[in-house]
Amino acid sequence: MVQLFKNLYDYRELLKTNVKKEIRGKYKGAWLGVFWSLLNPILLLVVYSIIFPYILRIQIPNYTMYLCVALLPWTCFTSTIQQGTYAVVVNGNIIKKVYFPREILPISVVTSGVVNFLITSLVMFGFLIFGGLGLTPYALLFPIILLLQFIIMIGITFILSAVTVYVRDLEHLVGLGLMVLFYGTPIVYTMDSIPAKLAWILNLNPMTHIITAYRDILYYQQMPNWINLGILALVGVALFIVGYYIFKRLERNFAEEF
Amino acid sequence: MKDKHDKTIAITVRRVNKDFKLFYDKANTLKEKLLFWNRSKNDILHILKDINLDIYKGETVALIGVNGSGKSTLLKLMTKIIYPNSGYLKTYGKLTSLLELGAGFHPDFSGRENIYFNASIFGLTKGDIDKRIDKIIEFSELEEFIDNPVRTYSSGMYLRLAFSVAINVDADILLIDEILAVGDQHFQEKCYKRLEELKKDGKTIVIVTHALDVVKSFCNRAIWISEGVVKMDGDPKKVVGAYLNDCR
Repeated sequence: MVQLFKNLYDYRELLKTNVKKEIRGKYKGAWLGVFWSLLNPILLLVVYSIIFPYILRIQIPNYTMYLCVALLPWTCFTSTIQQGTYAVVVNGNIIKKVYFPREILPISVVTSGVVNFLITSLVMFGFLIFGGLGLTPYALLFPIILLLQFIIMIGITFILSAVTVYVRDLEHLVGLGLMVLFYGTPIVYTMDSIPAKLAWILNLNPMTHIITAYRDILYYQQMPNWINLGILALVGVALFIVGYYIFKRLERNFAEEF
Repeated sequence: MKDKHDKTIAITVRRVNKDFKLFYDKANTLKEKLLFWNRSKNDILHILKDINLDIYKGETVALIGVNGSGKSTLLKLMTKIIYPNSGYLKTYGKLTSLLELGAGFHPDFSGRENIYFNASIFGLTKGDIDKRIDKIIEFSELEEFIDNPVRTYSSGMYLRLAFSVAINVDADILLIDEILAVGDQHFQEKCYKRLEELKKDGKTIVIVTHALDVVKSFCNRAIWISEGVVKMDGDPKKVVGAYLNDCR
């Protein structure tokens, strides 16, 4: 574990160039460039805030805002996990030829996902301010929740990116899983609308608590549930450590799989 | 009094075995695995068998042998790109490898950006690279083209850029795999001159090569690997002589 932080420090320049490449390379050649990372979630938001209140008749006050504070972090989660799954596989060529700490690859994908989200969250805060809800001091808790999300995403990406090298089917499975998970997280609906018998399933999903916490501080403007967040922090750190060891175990044969 | 064998060790190889699985028409999907389950028995190729080596700091070692003898595999094990099936291998000090041309070059980025990217793979920080960038560009003789995308480079230019980065990383151990042959006479001589300098600075250099003249003139130790075992190890002239006799 100490080795991880030493490697990250020694190879910080690689991490930095990788994150930059990830962000800039994603929209290379597109006219609107990085603006796409703003436009994508906004367009999605527009579509959903028409479909759910007007067509599916979900009755929640200020639904667009309700959706916004959950949908943007969720978009960050899905796109990061999806890209993170490929993180090692797409770099097979380099892995075969040079040594560098392989964990840089998943970490830089997750980091760039979070940087991307920070850009979109500017739009989110803009919406909140001009959309009538405003910001309260609770919004200062935003970085803490984001940090939790970051740790959880790295843990998951460690595992997925390493296993995908050996089981390529995982890429497709992850896409499917994320779609299911979207409806298994209270993003477009409220937690109350779930039958009590099924609520425990949702509570097993770490993203439920992340999304709820974002919503607490930004939409309901109240203290998040610290007990839940504390448990989540423990789970997140455990996931991170377990993920790291799985990655380290599997990385030894990476070069022979390409 | 310090004699040669009193020096500090740079690379230790102990009882290293490396196997490769040989797949005949690798059955990769579930359908193929179910249909051809009886065919999926793969043979195992013992590429390295029980290798023991000590390479000392400041040595210039050539690995020689016929194609497929396992010398490149040994070099890859030293870089930690692959790991042995049994035994262990340790390197002491900062290590740079030049196994294939422009590993980690991004074709759409300029030569200058690729220097930063490539050097960062070797573990340099931005400050380190800033200090070296002029030296690297000068050595590569690519001043005119340094801001053009690398995909427009010829293979010789590619080699020059890759080699210039690797050689200016200031590693303690430099591992080079049969790539110098691409450069022209002028650049090859320049590279060997630079390698000579590194040798004088006490750097450890391990090269895999078929250029036996180079082995004799440049290296102070040659290791002949044949069918996965060390067949001979010692003075380059003697080892090359024995190797040539065997090849005939």
